[in-house]
Amino acid sequence: MLNIDNLYAKIDKKAILNGLSLKIKPGEVHAIMGPNGSGKSTLANILSGKQGYEISGNVSYENKNLFDLAIEERAHKGLFLAFQYPLEIPGVNTSNFLKTSLNAIRKSNGKKELDALEFLKIVKEKASKLKMDEKFLNRQLNVGFSGGEKKKNEILQMSLIEPKMAILDETDSGLDIDALKIVANGVNTLRNKERSFLIITHYQRLLDYIKPDFVHVLMKGKIAKSGCMELAEELEKVGYEKL
Amino acid sequence: MTNQIKTDFDKVIKNLKPSKENINLRKKSLNKFINLGFPQKKEEDWKFFDLNQIISSNIKDLKFFDKELFNKKNKILIPKNALPLILFEHNKIVIANGVVHTIDFRYEDLKKINITNTVKNQSSNTNHSLAYLNSAFTTNYLKIIIKKNYSLNKPVILYNFTNEKITSTNINQRLDIVLEDNSRLNLINLFTDYSSDNFININHEFKVGKDSILKNYKIDDKENSNIKYFYNNIDLDQNSLVENFILSSGSKFIKNEINCNLQAKYASAFVSGIINLDGAKQHEIKTNINHLAENTKSYQLIKSVLNENSKGIFQGKIFVDSIAQKTNGYQLSKALLLNENAEFDGKPELEIYADDVKCSHGSTSGSLDENSIFYLMSRGLNHKEAKKLLINGFLLDVVEKITDLEIKKLIKEIIGVSE
Repeated sequence: MLNIDNLYAKIDKKAILNGLSLKIKPGEVHAIMGPNGSGKSTLANILSGKQGYEISGNVSYENKNLFDLAIEERAHKGLFLAFQYPLEIPGVNTSNFLKTSLNAIRKSNGKKELDALEFLKIVKEKASKLKMDEKFLNRQLNVGFSGGEKKKNEILQMSLIEPKMAILDETDSGLDIDALKIVANGVNTLRNKERSFLIITHYQRLLDYIKPDFVHVLMKGKIAKSGCMELAEELEKVGYEKL
Repeated sequence: MTNQIKTDFDKVIKNLKPSKENINLRKKSLNKFINLGFPQKKEEDWKFFDLNQIISSNIKDLKFFDKELFNKKNKILIPKNALPLILFEHNKIVIANGVVHTIDFRYEDLKKINITNTVKNQSSNTNHSLAYLNSAFTTNYLKIIIKKNYSLNKPVILYNFTNEKITSTNINQRLDIVLEDNSRLNLINLFTDYSSDNFININHEFKVGKDSILKNYKIDDKENSNIKYFYNNIDLDQNSLVENFILSSGSKFIKNEINCNLQAKYASAFVSGIINLDGAKQHEIKTNINHLAENTKSYQLIKSVLNENSKGIFQGKIFVDSIAQKTNGYQLSKALLLNENAEFDGKPELEIYADDVKCSHGSTSGSLDENSIFYLMSRGLNHKEAKKLLINGFLLDVVEKITDLEIKKLIKEIIGVSE
């Protein structure tokens, strides 16, 4: 699904990723943990196409060079990033945005675009699973949303788009325990043999609810250690320093 | 220019055949205009919009007379597709090449509306050079009086139409509207220009009586190479209200000037507008909100979206007289610059002589947020769609200021903003 090979990235001449390699197969859930400044968010940003980085190394997505794909093409081909800090977009109605996004992706995949009624039915159903008040649909996108609401909105988008490869960038930070369970449940519902996840997090907490197949520790821009769930538990006990 | 304008003036008089008295009035106006000339950038109010220079470099040999304007045999034909499809019922005034073509108030009680359409114009209360030019040359003087206690059933659309036969010509239009006490009018000025390289000089003057409401909307959306000056003077009596909305987008050059005189207590003036430009267009909105009595209120919100080499200007003035205590005045301008060659000039002015007032203003300009574009693109929108959505979002709150729902819908359709 996703194959990262010896990835280097710099921003303003400062090296952030230093030869990161990671292979994610269909259906696998990988977690990346790491201290502040280890390059976790940079990795997520680069994978989804954010500009401004000086990059070398190879990343293939579904056996194609990921860097040949424009930002929106990555989305069309099933790559999804749940943002650490979802942006507030004044004047843009949430429901309208969700529909525009979903239809842009459907259209690029040769599927029929949903009309307003069809869309509303689907979005209401998915929102209720995430215990989101329907009223948020008529609000401006993320404007005045609480941290938890913003993160839930990201998970709602993920569940609408049903991506092939989802990257969650610290989706758990700022969530209370109830919201955390709901978000984890949103991810678990989407788990299947084809769909892969890359979960970026500081803490083990989220991983208690989403059991990853693999856990990696990112230190100074590369994978310092890989293992399974036990590694996350160990990190929680001893911290990153001891590694 | 002086010889040309005098010769053209004689031709206009010969065709209009006004009374001697009116000829004298027009002559006086002409001489005043000749003395003053077109406004130039050395005048403070015109510092960002040098009309004299704009006219001389964009119009070759400006004429003040064109026989086409007076060609009665050859009735001006308005192509069916020239007028945008307005889906709601409305009264209409059609002005073609500056000449009144149709007046149709079919939805109204005609005993409650007094309409005068004459050659015999009255002098303007305004004493700037373009008002004199207008008084000297205007072909029609149109005056509408809405009688006391009458609210129009339907809006009035004033179709400003020009055809391709007119070029390099100065066209003047004059309209006075009086709303007697407790009356209501929704007026939409819709520009449809097929002509090119003209200087169109419009002067609308309003008197809004006690407890009356005027909604004054202007839509200039069709691409054209004309230069326009659209002046409004609005006098407001006690507890009256004016809501102005300007959509400024189609003409090459346009300066909209709105003067609101809040002459008695509880009068309110609202001005909101969108300047949406591409190419090398240059549009200005200039306001003078004069708080002349206690407890008066004003609110202004202008948003500009500037592409390519375009230039947007907002000069907004709030004046508070020493007797106008408890004034509440607000002004905000926001500009989005989409190209490094685009320019926005903002000049907020507060002139306050009373001590118990609440007045504030703000002005920002900037470019689209790259992180927001990235966010939207990561959700499958291409760059163009992401940009459009953000611009829509930027403009939505101005459009929401329009309180007439049909007009709001129309404006949303024209600029492609959806909720």
